[in-house]
Amino acid sequence: MKYWVVRIASIALALFACYGIDMMSAGWNSYSQRIFALVGLYVTLAVSLNLINGITGQFSIGHAAFYQVGAYLSGYISVTFYDKMGVHGLPWLFLMMFAGAAGAAVAGLVVGLPSLRLRGDYLAIVTMGFGEIIRIIVENTDKIGGSYGLNVQPKFLHVGVIWLLAIVCIAVCRNLLKTAHGLPFLAVREDEIASSAMGVNVTSTKVTAFVLGSAFAGAAGALLAHYEGFITPTTFAMDTSFIILTMVVLGGTGSITGSAISAALLAYLPEYLRTLQNADGTPLAVTGSSVMAALLTVAVAVGAIRAVINMPGASAQKRTLYILGAILASGLVKIIFQIALLQVPYLAKLHIEAGQLRMVIFAVSLVVIMLIRPQGIFAHHEFSWSWVKKVLFRKEGPKTAVAS
Amino acid sequence: MSLLKLNKATIRFGGLVAVNEVSFDLEKGDLFGLIGPNGAGKTTCFNLITGVYTPTSGEIVFQGKQIQGTPSNRIASLGIARTFQNIRLFPALSVLENVVVGGFLRHKTGLFSALAYLPNSIKETTRLKDEAYHLLEILDLEDVADTRSADLPYGKQRRLEIARAMATQPELLLLDEPAAGMNPQESEDLMRTVRKLRDEHGKTVLLIEHDMKFVMNLCEKIFVLDHGEQIAYGGPSEVRNDPKVIAAYLGEAV
Repeated sequence: MKYWVVRIASIALALFACYGIDMMSAGWNSYSQRIFALVGLYVTLAVSLNLINGITGQFSIGHAAFYQVGAYLSGYISVTFYDKMGVHGLPWLFLMMFAGAAGAAVAGLVVGLPSLRLRGDYLAIVTMGFGEIIRIIVENTDKIGGSYGLNVQPKFLHVGVIWLLAIVCIAVCRNLLKTAHGLPFLAVREDEIASSAMGVNVTSTKVTAFVLGSAFAGAAGALLAHYEGFITPTTFAMDTSFIILTMVVLGGTGSITGSAISAALLAYLPEYLRTLQNADGTPLAVTGSSVMAALLTVAVAVGAIRAVINMPGASAQKRTLYILGAILASGLVKIIFQIALLQVPYLAKLHIEAGQLRMVIFAVSLVVIMLIRPQGIFAHHEFSWSWVKKVLFRKEGPKTAVAS
Repeated sequence: MSLLKLNKATIRFGGLVAVNEVSFDLEKGDLFGLIGPNGAGKTTCFNLITGVYTPTSGEIVFQGKQIQGTPSNRIASLGIARTFQNIRLFPALSVLENVVVGGFLRHKTGLFSALAYLPNSIKETTRLKDEAYHLLEILDLEDVADTRSADLPYGKQRRLEIARAMATQPELLLLDEPAAGMNPQESEDLMRTVRKLRDEHGKTVLLIEHDMKFVMNLCEKIFVLDHGEQIAYGGPSEVRNDPKVIAAYLGEAV
């Protein structure tokens, strides 16, 4: 009884939240609305890739391909059949979302069945190759717009649906890990030979994860196509795959919470930088000296933090204190570096717009996390209410054995 | 009818004959030891039985069915479970979760009900966990149920491997050097546990072990391999005094 109350309440809450998001974002300007939509899509993509990469341990770097399959398949169906069908409005969008998911799932099955017998770097190369194959096929097929792109009609400006998909994706992954069904996936990641000796069908487990992850990416692609109303192959190029991968790795491979949070941050941050302005309304620009000083400071700070982490025989509190100290001190270091570097005429004159720094920030944050915390920000941990209780009230919450 | 029958099982890796026409019978309830010097082909025998390798020739019959060439996971569900010589636990999973993976092949609910978190899936999870916990009690591991298995001391990791294999509810349990690296007290305890698995839980046990004291005290039948071939077979006292076995272990008198 309690189960159904909680269940229905949480589903109602999710639907209500998405409705709220939809209403709220409808009033925003199209720029902030679009960013919010993209953040939602990236959360879906990262969490679904995490199912493949983090939970099942299959290193796939072609996730954008499934995103693309979903986008183009549903886009093409919409362009061709929308006028001839009696379905309009939101039901059509949901229908297209399922079409995109189904198309990408089939693509996932086709790629997965032969290639998931491979391991590690071999699988990575195959998935990367598949991503490129899809992009090149799309670029050279005139019927779907080729390299000019495809105009998708009708457009649906519903950010709420995008976030609904993100919530469903997170919920599905969490449910999997909460039940015993999730354990074979984790077991395959940990040791394939041992899992198969325990009766786990390794290949079908991997393919299941791959198909499920691809389906979510395909659904996200369908929503993207119908939100933007225009898609080109460049949207789904290899760097999109890598950005999604970066989100998963930064958040902590295997952690749904980590993937979702780092996806939201990494999708939002670059756009946020673009909106920064100087007092006179021009885009915010910084000098080359400042950027250079920041990079050097990061290097120094990372070195210091690593030294603290590797310090033998220090207590956890002492370490935290030292790390905080190092971070504060690096502010001072940055000022010193900047003063010194302003003496270099070339760097002092160089002006870089903050928006252009997004790739630098990506790269630097990835390097920093890999040096300081190679298991990712959240490592294998998940957000849970018992954890919140523990932190807030310093009490042991009920221990959950399955969700790790 | 014997439980497991190897009939002239042979496997070649290129020019090397790792196991050569090995035949033996296991009856239900046997405590059967497989011994031999390093590189004799004992673990390869295990790998043949559990489907990691397919024999080049010969047959392996389990409960009247030929099983050579069957994939490992199918063999596990037929009722043969094993442990590994170089421990192969799932390091990031907790002790309890490791055992639940072993029990998972008896799951009845579909993937969908897990993804939707339906009541039958939750119930099944609870059931599998309860069963796993019960096995941990049998192997004295219940106090570390929530520990990451990588953080366990060595002897407990070995016991956890047995618990995980037991979770598949096998007819036949293959133990690959279960006492390796244990101190005398631990291996004494282990001997008692293995005997308990046979006497109280009705398992048939086939084990590889280098610790002669362990094998001679525990096993009722012993099969000796050297260079992939049978050199002796019989009870502990026969095998111990067999000149070929002594020669294989100590070298021949010149």
